[in-house]
Amino acid sequence: MKILVCLKQTFDTEAKITLDSNGKIESKGVSMIMNPYDEFAVEEALRIKEKGEGEVTVISVGGQQTQDALRQALAMGADKAVLVDPGEIELDEFSTATVLAKTIGGMEYDIILGGFRAIDDGSAQVVGRVAELLNIPVVNVVTKLEIEGGKALATREVEGGSEVIEVALPAAFTAQKGLNEPRYPSMKGIMKAKKKPMDKKTLADVGLDENQIAAKVKALSFSLPEARQAGKVIPGEAAEAAKELARLLREEAKVI
Amino acid sequence: MAANFLMPTRDQKFILKEWLPLEQVLSYEAFSEAYSMDDVDMILEQAHKMCREIIAPTNEEGDKNPAHLVDGKVILPESFKEAYDFVQENGWGTSNLDTEGGALPELLLTAVNEFILGANPAFAPYVGATTGSAKLIQTFGNDWQKGLFLPKMMEGAWSGTMCLTEPNAGSDVGDITTKAFPTETPGVYKIKGTKCFITAGDHNLTENIIHLLLARIEGAAQGTKGISLFIVPKYRVDDNGNITGSNDVTCVGVEHKMGLKASATAMLSFGDNNDCLGYLVGDPPDENGKAQGMAQMFQMMNGARYETGLMALAVAAVAYHNAAQYARERIQGRPLTNPKSDRLQIIKHADVRRMLMNMKAHNEAVRAMIYKTGFMMDVQHHDPDEGKRKMAAAYVDVTTPLIKAYASDVVWPLTGEAIQVYGGYGFSEEYPVAQSARDCKIYSIWEGTNYIQALDLIGRKWTMKNGEVFKAWMKDLKQTIESFGDKPEFAKEYAILSEAYKAYRGIQQKTMEFYMQQKFDLLPLFATRILHCTAKLYCGTLIVDQAVLAAGKMSELGADHFDYAFYRGKVEAARYYVRNIVPEVMCTAGIIADADTSVLDAPEEAFNF
Ligand SMILES: Cc1cc2nc3c(=O)[nH]c(=O)nc-3n(C[C@H](O)[C@H](O)[C@H](O)COP(=O)(O)OP(=O)(O)OC[C@H]3O[C@@H](n4cnc5c(N)ncnc54)[C@H](O)[C@@H]3O)c2cc1C
Ligand SMILES: Cc1cc2nc3c(=O)[nH]c(=O)nc-3n(C[C@H](O)[C@H](O)[C@H](O)COP(=O)(O)OP(=O)(O)OC[C@H]3O[C@@H](n4cnc5c(N)ncnc54)[C@H](O)[C@@H]3O)c2cc1C
Repeated sequence: MKILVCLKQTFDTEAKITLDSNGKIESKGVSMIMNPYDEFAVEEALRIKEKGEGEVTVISVGGQQTQDALRQALAMGADKAVLVDPGEIELDEFSTATVLAKTIGGMEYDIILGGFRAIDDGSAQVVGRVAELLNIPVVNVVTKLEIEGGKALATREVEGGSEVIEVALPAAFTAQKGLNEPRYPSMKGIMKAKKKPMDKKTLADVGLDENQIAAKVKALSFSLPEARQAGKVIPGEAAEAAKELARLLREEAKVI
Repeated sequence: MAANFLMPTRDQKFILKEWLPLEQVLSYEAFSEAYSMDDVDMILEQAHKMCREIIAPTNEEGDKNPAHLVDGKVILPESFKEAYDFVQENGWGTSNLDTEGGALPELLLTAVNEFILGANPAFAPYVGATTGSAKLIQTFGNDWQKGLFLPKMMEGAWSGTMCLTEPNAGSDVGDITTKAFPTETPGVYKIKGTKCFITAGDHNLTENIIHLLLARIEGAAQGTKGISLFIVPKYRVDDNGNITGSNDVTCVGVEHKMGLKASATAMLSFGDNNDCLGYLVGDPPDENGKAQGMAQMFQMMNGARYETGLMALAVAAVAYHNAAQYARERIQGRPLTNPKSDRLQIIKHADVRRMLMNMKAHNEAVRAMIYKTGFMMDVQHHDPDEGKRKMAAAYVDVTTPLIKAYASDVVWPLTGEAIQVYGGYGFSEEYPVAQSARDCKIYSIWEGTNYIQALDLIGRKWTMKNGEVFKAWMKDLKQTIESFGDKPEFAKEYAILSEAYKAYRGIQQKTMEFYMQQKFDLLPLFATRILHCTAKLYCGTLIVDQAVLAAGKMSELGADHFDYAFYRGKVEAARYYVRNIVPEVMCTAGIIADADTSVLDAPEEAFNF
């Protein structure tokens, strides 16, 4: 079983996001992590492999720093990593998916996994687009996945419940929270990761040029959420204060 | 409420990747296959993540649910078992003794351990005691002992302890009364005695507990030289490591302590029914009754002293970061210069800033001292050049008592200061830093009280090999100070450190005079203060050494760079430490030169009032 996992490096969930002087998101000095939904995908890939036989390859499109996220996946137990560094150009979901699909197109695979969305831009498009380009089915927001006899049974979230889908392999799946508990890399894992292959490619290596992946979407501006207003303390006896609170909620906040 | 595990990794990364030659360490044969500089961030990040997500959540539970005795067994919070298994099974604990299996160098392990200790200071000793005792078996045990005990301890199935202290023999280890009686089997003895204050002495984390115990074999010499070291498992085991029954070790009580509440401190009784077997480590006493136990135990003790300094640093760091965060959020007081303006975050007040800087500067200075020794330990054990190994070993000898005692003496006032930043809330257990203050007090006491460290410094380390060792260490220090001479931005620091160096030489001379004049009373009177002076001079030198590097980075990167504040902070912390703390060396030198004996002149009865 050949399993490919598409993963992205994102800002740390705890990172404080600021805008630089050009109004772009400031990425310098922000600590980076593997997108948490992709961690579910890596974990699922490892579990599928551990149940039978197989090989897990993790793939990312990004700069050299992205190796850290790939290395974490290797330390968790993935076998190989592929990094495609497109250089200093702006990417949108179309560009990323195109690079991934082109890279994957030259590889063997039975299963493609990824997070259903990335926590930074939250667009939830990339794996779906990759599947489309490769012309294979995709099942989104998967919370349970069973593989047997060239088929997969995937449980996915739908409004108010869940749905079970059977699909023939090869197919792509996107991981939702709840799919599993990702493991932490052990010391031994970190040590072994060093010896695992990390295949670094350029756009040209995968047979693309910048024009073919020019972004179709352009972000016009970014803005930070408004700072939270200071809370209000209502003084006085409890009964009086409660009355005042009710009045404020009705008349000022207009929520009741 | 337990301290939030706030511990940025930036200073550790600065030390490992910019200040100390970790690359040199990783090139040693023991590590070159396993690790490279590229792995450093991942190791630190993953260790930090484990601390945040798995260990830190156990801290509050432990503080609220102290280790307690039920039917002769110590019960710990459930979460401790999970955390213990996790650390041991994932290679962050005792398995680091396995040099074949990719042990981390001491320098890196120091960072990992700083995080673990900061995440839950009451949890870490379960791992630490296991590693310390396993290391003793690894170094001094015979093949059977190593084969039987080490694998189980490294994988986390069994834990370990160090049993030295007895009710009537704390600092006076030489006066222990626990006895060992030979049996028909050579190397196997019957143990009888009571040990107290044993960290991790009993608990429900592991299926067996392996006590490394000091006892006197019948007929051996009195005092420390007649003491032997034994492996005494709580439960007996067969050669395959299966538990076969009781070994007559009972836990008769646990201490109710002011801090480290979930770290079980047990009173243990060995051989109540005359059926407790211990396995001798090394050889039996020679014909003069001289045994090997104390020398063996010292190997562990040096490691434990280093670790105690690190514990103190970790608690101080977490308390500092909590206080700094609180100071950013708490709004109180208007600027003195403009009383009509809005109230401010207290971090904007000079006096609060002073407290934060005092904590930051001490922490960074102490961290520099500890990690530098961590590096020297790697050189000591792994450098291919024998001369360098010896030089490093001597260096570690000198700095160990400084690390143990200075770090653990400053952590108490530093956590007190963290409380002060919180104001009334600091005194409340609903807020994080009260626990830090309670937890840290033990560090100046265990592993040899800080007075014993001070005696070790002036009695042993000053005089080792006719004083050559210390002289070489001082020369190295002097050279580092001299290297600041051509740095105009540190001219003042250079001047203060040079003066402190001179004052320190004065202290040494004066001490020598006391000795020549047979005023022996004065040595212990000033010992602790001399140790503090040594550490202040040393820490001041190291922190300026770091600041020189940081100043270079500052001008290279410019004020707009995201890392500027870090480097600027390092430079200011160094200035603060040298200008505000190091001059105390001059002050103490004056007191010693004056040979003030008010302490000794006061009659004992004076202390009735
Ligand atoms: C929480 C905790 C955990 C511990 N864990 C362990 C453990 O795992 N294993 C173990 O074996 N022990 C352990 N200990 C014991 C610890 O090492 C001792 O408490 C320590 O060695 C001091 O001994 P003591 O308490 O008997 O104090 P004492 O020796 O009575 O000392 C009291 C004071 O007198 C001073 N003093 C003593 N002798 C002299 C002297 N000759 N000259 C000048 N001053 C002197 C000391 O410096 C100290 O200030 C632990 C203790 C605690 C509290
Ligand atoms: C056990 C206990 C008993 C108490 N009993 C009483 C009582 O009986 N009656 C009563 O009225 N109160 C009582 N208090 C409240 C106590 O007096 C306050 O906690 C104290 O005044 C400090 O205020 P705070 O806690 O709000 O700290 P803060 O005022 O928030 O101070 C936090 C830190 O900021 C510093 N700081 C604050 N403002 C400035 C400034 N302008 N410039 C520089 N630094 C500043 C402080 O020095 C402190 O280090 C009690 C508190 C406790 C904990």
